[in-house]
Amino acid sequence: MYRKNRMGLLFLLPGVIWILAFTIFPLLYSLALSFTDRQLARPTSGQFIGFENYSKVFQGIASSVIDTRSEQGQAFFGAGASAVDVRVGETIPTTIFLTLGSTLLTLLLGTGIAWLFNHDFAGLRIFRSVMTMPLFAAPVALGFMGLILFNEQSGIINTVIKAVTGGQWVPWFSQPWPARTAVLLLDTWQWTPFVFVVVLAAMQSIPTELYEAARLDTRNSWQLFSRITLPLILPALGTIGMLRLVETFKILDIPLSMLGGGPGSATQTYSYYAYQVGLKNFQMGYGSALGYVLVIVCIIISTLYFRRMRSRYDQPKQG
Amino acid sequence: MAATKQVHLDTPAPSRSTAKDWQARVGRALLWLGVIIAVVWTLFPFIWAVRTSFMTQVEALSPVFIPWVQFTPTLANWDAELNLGGRETFLALRNSVIIAVGATVVACTIGTLTGYALGRFQYKIGNSNIISWVMSQRFMPPIATLIPIFIVIQTLKLLDTHLGMIIVNTTFVIPFAILIMRDFFADFPDEIEEAAVVDGASPWQVFWRVALPLATPALTAAAIICFAFAWNEFLFASVLATREAKPYTYLVASTSTARGVHFPYLATRMMIAITLPVLLSLFVQRYIVRGLTFGAVKG
Repeated sequence: MYRKNRMGLLFLLPGVIWILAFTIFPLLYSLALSFTDRQLARPTSGQFIGFENYSKVFQGIASSVIDTRSEQGQAFFGAGASAVDVRVGETIPTTIFLTLGSTLLTLLLGTGIAWLFNHDFAGLRIFRSVMTMPLFAAPVALGFMGLILFNEQSGIINTVIKAVTGGQWVPWFSQPWPARTAVLLLDTWQWTPFVFVVVLAAMQSIPTELYEAARLDTRNSWQLFSRITLPLILPALGTIGMLRLVETFKILDIPLSMLGGGPGSATQTYSYYAYQVGLKNFQMGYGSALGYVLVIVCIIISTLYFRRMRSRYDQPKQG
Repeated sequence: MAATKQVHLDTPAPSRSTAKDWQARVGRALLWLGVIIAVVWTLFPFIWAVRTSFMTQVEALSPVFIPWVQFTPTLANWDAELNLGGRETFLALRNSVIIAVGATVVACTIGTLTGYALGRFQYKIGNSNIISWVMSQRFMPPIATLIPIFIVIQTLKLLDTHLGMIIVNTTFVIPFAILIMRDFFADFPDEIEEAAVVDGASPWQVFWRVALPLATPALTAAAIICFAFAWNEFLFASVLATREAKPYTYLVASTSTARGVHFPYLATRMMIAITLPVLLSLFVQRYIVRGLTFGAVKG
């Protein structure tokens, strides 16, 4: 075949140019901005200030574990303790809770449901399609779904809880941890189907012969699952685990449209705060630095991800 | 999913005793129960939103749900949003369609060419390197590119325009298009194209006359996935298109402050925002797995 034909370059070019212009260039631009004090409304801004923004970010992150007003805080942060951006620190517990919580919950539920669907039922294909519907719903609109379902006085969830417990209800919107849990549940609801379809695909690629051979020894479903299914779907689980991690770092739409980051700043994620700093307060230098710290975390995860698929993509003819 | 092997985990083995037979039946019933719970868990929020959108505020506050028995469905909310809400809703929906369709067309055009290139040709830089750059768009936090893109779009004088939004959304969805098409062409047998080459067709003719027509199903799936994600985009719209070119997602996000918590109204807006992409997704089942994992898992 004409694999080394010059025409190949012409086919490739439009995509490469687009990605260089609108993905790679902005990333580099953002890196440059993160070393400046650029602010939108100030023409004199944009001076190079070295790592100042980054030290502000890392001090802010550190303030999530060290109280700036305590003695240790005074010692750790020195004279600038009062100037530390503690709002960055406040986003850290929320972000970690949502990221780890949603990744683990979706993996667990998704695998469980995939196991259920990996049986020979009539009508399963229709149900499978239904199961993927949440994936395509706009997260911003799901915030509204949250407002309706979790409403403290009259939402259906509290109505059920009241009926079961005899009058007790959960302050989903007015207390920090219940509010974070509500966001977590919505995100989990939306992304469980993703894990489900991927894991189901991985399960269905396991040769039937393996099960047939194993069934000579045992008919125990759990043993079949833990000794055959689980080891064989582990690579797929690892892959989606990484995808889910980078995706959940970006959570912002749901807390924004549901509670505006509240109560207080309880559902304000790291991404949400970076967005406010950079594009609502227009501190673009500092906002870029906040964004870039997240870029570094994502680069680490995505490097692991790409390593897994490198061999597959190196030759054009490898399916 | 058409040609998948179903694993017959629960196929009853030739049973020797009725006790085992009975056990298999219970197992089957439990599995069905699990499936039903999973489906209800997935569908319930949608059903609840639909129910709420056909109610008055007072009804929406009570836990009733059976139409015509427990409450009388009303079209008032839909009417208010689509007719009285009129111009604002209409313009926002029109913007959403223009932006999502525009981004889909550009992304699929470029994506098909690039996908064909990566599935058919070998490049010196290494195909996998090119693909990691393509995918980096999906991995990088949008927050990090939002600020520079804002500055670029502002410099190009494209703030609050359809063109600006189409460029931005194309950038987001192009990895889906490239990778879905790349996978299709990589799996596609060489022989058909070789026959055309023997007949003296140029590489472009082979692509345009032979490969592309056969790629229609994959291209349709890529287009639907691109359309859905561009339609759902909110973050960049909230910064780049807040007035004239404002899409429906941004209109939705700015609702709660304007009207307070009026459940039926929220539910109606939510349903309008999600219905189209959710329904379209039912047609791309075969491509969801590969499309959303960028080919890391075969589906």
